[in-house]
Amino acid sequence: MAMAAIRREGRRYAPLLFPRPNAAVRSSLVSEEDVPFGARSISTQVVRNRMKSVRNIQKITKAMKMVAASKLRAIQVRAENSRGLWQPFTALLGDTPSVDVKKNVIVTISSDKGLCGGINSTSVKISKALHKFSGPDKETKYVVLGEKAKAQMVRDSKKDILLTIAELQKNPLNYTQVSVLADDILKNVEFDALRIVFNKFHSVVSFLPTISTVLSPEVVEREAESGGKLGELDSYEVEGGETKAEILQNLSEFQFSCVLFNAVLENACSEQGARMSAMDSSSRNAGDMLDRLTLTYNRTRQASITTELIEIISGASALEG
Amino acid sequence: MTLNLCVLTPNRIVWDSEVKEIILSTNSGQIRILPNHVPAAIAIDIGILRIRLNGQWLRMALMGGFARIGNNKIIILVNDAEKSSDIDPQEAQKMLELAEANVRKVEGKRQTIEANLALRQARTRIEASNAIS
Repeated sequence: MAMAAIRREGRRYAPLLFPRPNAAVRSSLVSEEDVPFGARSISTQVVRNRMKSVRNIQKITKAMKMVAASKLRAIQVRAENSRGLWQPFTALLGDTPSVDVKKNVIVTISSDKGLCGGINSTSVKISKALHKFSGPDKETKYVVLGEKAKAQMVRDSKKDILLTIAELQKNPLNYTQVSVLADDILKNVEFDALRIVFNKFHSVVSFLPTISTVLSPEVVEREAESGGKLGELDSYEVEGGETKAEILQNLSEFQFSCVLFNAVLENACSEQGARMSAMDSSSRNAGDMLDRLTLTYNRTRQASITTELIEIISGASALEG
Repeated sequence: MTLNLCVLTPNRIVWDSEVKEIILSTNSGQIRILPNHVPAAIAIDIGILRIRLNGQWLRMALMGGFARIGNNKIIILVNDAEKSSDIDPQEAQKMLELAEANVRKVEGKRQTIEANLALRQARTRIEASNAIS
């Protein structure tokens, strides 16, 4: 009875008499509200709960990484196949990002789902930088593909966005769908040059933001006359239609849809790759956290055993004499 | 002298090898390309591409696109391409019938155009698969 009373008293003064063990570690791992006021030390239950949730998170992120890896494998093949498609266009028409045009339209490609690292932010940053660089008397508008870029750009460039398209990847990507999309964009948007901003997939750990330029047929004509790479276009005999202008128009539309297809595929690859590495580092972090929590758990357990022993022994010695 | 022919679609490379000559069908008729052709950019219509190599003619169904001829190098970019050996005649026949039925019953300008396109594609595939020459 007396011992119980002393023990109860002791509990109230314990925080003052026994400064909480490992206070620094504990405050980073276990928040204050988990520990009931007046407890002598952290209960092992609290640490165990936290360990369980961290372990669950680690399992989930590991699974997400494997899913991303398998999706990456599937789509990487298609992206590489589609790369051969726009190279002839570049060889014929040249990729001239420095052409001076009045109306620029920036097509930003991003992902719909998150947890994929920083690729969407880089695309948005580059689009905004392009917008700033184009200067005072030129207009620049945006066409946004994908939810993530839409969310970021709507905040400060709402009036410049012409068209937004979301849920691109609901059905597996194929050329017909992208060409319909390209058709939509071409119909509704007036442009002199289209700049497509996307993340090009170089390897599983490296994605480089890239800009592809597609010029409208009038600009192509203009540049062809002035010489340079496009000047070679004049030396080509053009057949298969009524007029050269009609062919050039078709050519530029086809070029846009091919380049867009390639860009969308590469961006999807980069998204999966970035998600893989993000989930991988997240699982590793969770593993580290788990290690530290295990140490804390063991310390807590040993501390509580020690205090019980102390109580028993002091109680026994008090009884004796 | 041979031509180096490359047929590309958005999904894959359909053909990449040396050939003797090819016959394309364009918007303004059929064109035969021999080695040492002048550089040209040609718009291709939905039709048959005939390739000659080793004295044999091969057929391929192309669904519209572009061809670029450089010095003895031809690059053909099309929306879709199928070798005649890859086309199943029964299936092609069925698609043709479906397309014909579709053309008769659709209305609206856009759908009519699409249905007509589908019909021409089906016809081209049948032609390619029936080739004997």
